[in-house]
Parts: sequence; C-alpha cells; structure tokens
Amino acid sequence: MKTHDRGILSSYDLKKPSTKIFYFLMIIVVLVMVCTMLYPMFVIFFNGLKLNTEVNSFPPTFLPSEVHFENYQKAWGYIKLPLFARNTLFIFAGNMVMTVLVVGFASFSLSRMNVPYKKVIQYFFLLTLFIPPTTYIIPNFVNLRDLGLMNSFWALWLPAGANAFFLLLLKSFFDGINMEMFESGRIDGASEPRLFFQIAFPLSVPIFATLAIFVFSSAWNDWYWPSLILSSDDKYPLATAIYKYVINVRRLDLNLRFAILSMITFPPVIVFLIFQKYIVRGLHLGGVKG
Amino acid sequence: MSQSSTVPIRSLDTQPKKPPAKWRKHIWGYLFLLPAVAIFFTFLWMPIGKGIIFSFYHIDFVKGDTFVGWDNYEKVFKDPEVMVSVKNTLYYMLLGVLIGFWVPILFAIAISEMRRFQGFARIAAYLPYVVPFVVLYGLWRWLYDPVGPINAVITKLGIDPVLFLTDKAWSMISIVIMETWQSFGSALLIYLAAVLSIPRDWYEAAEIDGAGIWQRIRHITLPAIKNQIVLLFLLQLIATSQGFQTQYALLDGGPNNATLTYALLVVRYAFTRQDYGSASALGVLMFLVLGLLAVVQYRMSNKKEA
Repeated sequence: MKTHDRGILSSYDLKKPSTKIFYFLMIIVVLVMVCTMLYPMFVIFFNGLKLNTEVNSFPPTFLPSEVHFENYQKAWGYIKLPLFARNTLFIFAGNMVMTVLVVGFASFSLSRMNVPYKKVIQYFFLLTLFIPPTTYIIPNFVNLRDLGLMNSFWALWLPAGANAFFLLLLKSFFDGINMEMFESGRIDGASEPRLFFQIAFPLSVPIFATLAIFVFSSAWNDWYWPSLILSSDDKYPLATAIYKYVINVRRLDLNLRFAILSMITFPPVIVFLIFQKYIVRGLHLGGVKG
Repeated sequence: MSQSSTVPIRSLDTQPKKPPAKWRKHIWGYLFLLPAVAIFFTFLWMPIGKGIIFSFYHIDFVKGDTFVGWDNYEKVFKDPEVMVSVKNTLYYMLLGVLIGFWVPILFAIAISEMRRFQGFARIAAYLPYVVPFVVLYGLWRWLYDPVGPINAVITKLGIDPVLFLTDKAWSMISIVIMETWQSFGSALLIYLAAVLSIPRDWYEAAEIDGAGIWQRIRHITLPAIKNQIVLLFLLQLIATSQGFQTQYALLDGGPNNATLTYALLVVRYAFTRQDYGSASALGVLMFLVLGLLAVVQYRMSNKKEA
C-alpha cells in the first residue's frame, strides 16, 4: 500500500515555494523535537563517564573530555544492583503468572463458556475501572496490612490478578477467536483447562505479549507503591532501591549517580529498540482502538 | 476390592449423584471465574468498601479503631491545605492541557507528512517513555539545576537564569514540561495511527475543490481524529487529577506547598500524620468528583465504538 504518495500535502503543493518553506520549517521543528528527546538520553550515559568536577562544571559539556569507565565499575558496587534486579524480575514473573492464570481464566470463561449470570459477574469486574486507584490508595495499604502481607511479594503478586483493564483486553481478544475451534475441541473430549492452554492461549500469544510489556514496564517502573509495602533490601525492586539509595541521597557524586541511572535505563531502552516493531504493534493492540 | 469390579461400580455410583445438569455444565466456567472473583473482591472491592468505612473511623494500628462519625470530614473541610491542594491540582490539570495536550497532535500531523525517516522520528519521540521514572527524577534535577544545561542555554541568550524547581512560579510548570517530554510519545503513536488511516482521496478531493493546507487540516484531519482527541483529553484529565508521584519525588510538595496536589495531601495525611481516617475521607471525596469524570469517559469511548 502506498501510504506515503501523498498526505495532507500533495507533490503539487510541494512545488509552491511558500509551501516548501513551510514544509522545511516543519522538518526543522520535528528535528528539534528529536534532538530534545535524544539529548537527555545520551547525557545520562555521557555524564556517567565524566569526572565529577566535569559534571558539575558550568556551562555543562555534552561529550566527556576524558572517558572514565571505572565510574561504572564503582557504580556497580555502590548498591546491590543484581539483587534488586532479581527482585524486579521476581515481581514481574509473579505478576505475569497471576495475569495469565487469574485474568486469563476469567476472561476465557466470560468470553467462551457462557455461564449463567455472566453479565452480573462482568459488571463486578468492570465497575472497578470507574474507581480511580488513587482514591482508595490508603485503604488499600491498610487492607494489605490487615491481611498480613506487608514486606512480602504476595502483596504485589495477588493484586496483580485484579486488573479489569487486562480482563477487558483479553476478553475482547478471546471474543475474536472462532467458536468452532472450541466446539470441535469439546467434541474431541478436551477438558476446559485444556481448551484454554492448548487452543486459546497459543492463539492469543500477541495479546499476552502485549500484556507482558505492560506488566514488565510497571514492574520496572513502579517505585512508590513497592516502597510503601516492602521494607527490606532483599525485597526492594530496582526502581524503589534506586529512589531510596540514589535519588534521595544528597552526598552521592553526580557522575556515579548518572552511571547507575544509565545502567537501569539502557536495558529497557535496548530491548525496546530491538523489538520496537513488535512492541509498537502490540501497544496498538492494547491501546485505544483507533 | 478386585480390580475388575471397580470400573462398572464407580460409574454406577456416580450417576445418581450428578449435580443438576445446568450447574454441572457450567462447573468449569465458574471454577475459571472463582480466582478472579476472589482476588477482585479481596484486593479491589474490599479496599474500596473499607475506604468508606475508614472515613468514619479513627484508625489506630495499635489500640484499634474508634468510630468518630463525621469528624474526619469536618477536619478535612477545615484544613486550609485542602483548598490549596485542590487549587494546585486544578492548576496542574490546566497546565497539562496548555503545555502538554496539543504537542502529540501537532507532531502526529507533522510526522505523518514526512516523506522519509518517519519511523525514526516516531521511535525518538517514544523513547523517553521507556525511561524509568526514577531515572527521570535524577536526570531532570540536573537539567533544571541553576547551573544545569537548560540554564546554560538561557544565560547564553542573555536571559536571567530560572530557578525551575525552587521558584514557586516555575515549579509546577517545570514538572509538567518534564512529564510532557516523557509521555507525549505514547499519545503520539495513537494520533499517528489515526492520522495515517485517513483515506488519501479525501485530501485529493479537497485539493481539487480548492481547499488550502490549513483548510484540509481543519476540515479533514482534525475531525477524523476527533474521537482520539476527546478520549485522550479525558484520560489525561483523569491521570493528572490523581498525580502526585513526581511532585512527591522531586519536591515533596514544596516549595511552600506550590506543588502540593490533592493526591499528595492524601498520602501525607496517611503516612506523615498517620491519620488514615482523614486520608480515607479525602479519598472518598475525591472519588465523588473523579467517578463522574470516569463515567463521562466511558460514555464517550462507547459512543465511539458504536
């Protein structure tokens, strides 16, 4: 499909000098935008290579005048990054399992098993979308405390199954799978869990991959909520640990600070750049339907 | 029991004990729903319900809770900081619209017109969205520093340096600029997909009828993405009305409460003053206002699909 043969502007428009100037200006504006997006990304990395005096100099430099890779070595030893990374991956894995099993099963049942009182149950799930999470953030905290889940991964894992947005996404995806596939599976004597794992799940890999992106980015990003319910180093995810020991600490040298920050920025950025084609497509699958 | 007899006996045994056909047919359906119902109840509906109950109690983790009636609400209404925080939140929402809302629309239209490097521009715009928040805080503290790079450019232009974070007039604006930088890429993707799906011959026809470039944007492009604009506008309002993490992490509500948003005050009531009851009351009040917004958003997004 030739989507680019014309847009709002046709090739005829572009021959007019006034439009040409306008088009040129537009390109400049986009270019400036791209630079302001990329400059801070590079600066995180380069500042981690500078001497501390250079990071603090005015006016600031962009490229380091001398390269100090040993900053990264020092930064690696400053906090227990592998431990915190492991915690983050733990949280991600548990949240993902909950998403697949709890949300996956429920949406499969709502979509494909036609149980009585389906509508009522669906409202029970979906009405939670109308209640902004910040309005019950405090009772939520007290509730987890009452349940004795403080400083335990379960306090993050179990509520991960209570996601009405994911439920909606999965259900609408399952709705699109041909019903006859399940009918023939049932006639052949497959049990319902088997229908889920051997037919519904493999056919829904794209939507589960999208959910995995969402779940991963929240496990990697969330620092505030884990900092409330977790309270020891062997539980903190990366983001919370960085907030507590890097952002909130005054006396840490700026160059080391940036070295640590770049170490936790670049894994997701690199993964994103490699898989961006699939990720962007996946986000469209999960995003606002265009 | 001999092995040969078990098979027929078991099958005879179970036949009369069968539950009514309707329920047996759906037993797996309900089993599949059970974990989700339990989890939604325990971790969403219970806190939501408890929030309403707590708002009438004084919560004490050691001595136990005591019923105090409307005291928490009275206390909250008398607190001058509540009014300050409501004003700040409205200001924050307004700035989000003024500074941030139009940016992705503008760039979606501009990038859709690019004949080359479209993908590159799109990825560059989305990239900051991948950066973790905590990195953002460290990075922008340095960028906004009185002797940081932004002030270096400003002083070179002959303007007095700006205290982006510590100046009361600037702190909220600085936060909104930072958040726009980080998050407009995701909205951009949605707009871009919508803009690119507009049939090309609409523009062709408009051009033949003599419509100028602005007229084409005004009468074709913008109406075609109107649904996305309305939806993302509401989503942004819902998100910014609850915002507090950036304000908390960068400035802890300062300078002089200039970035104290309503949600941040809720958190402060709970975790600084240990007054969970009043914090719950503030949450209930917030729900009464925001729930309305969420309903409007739902009606809008459903209308779109119809």
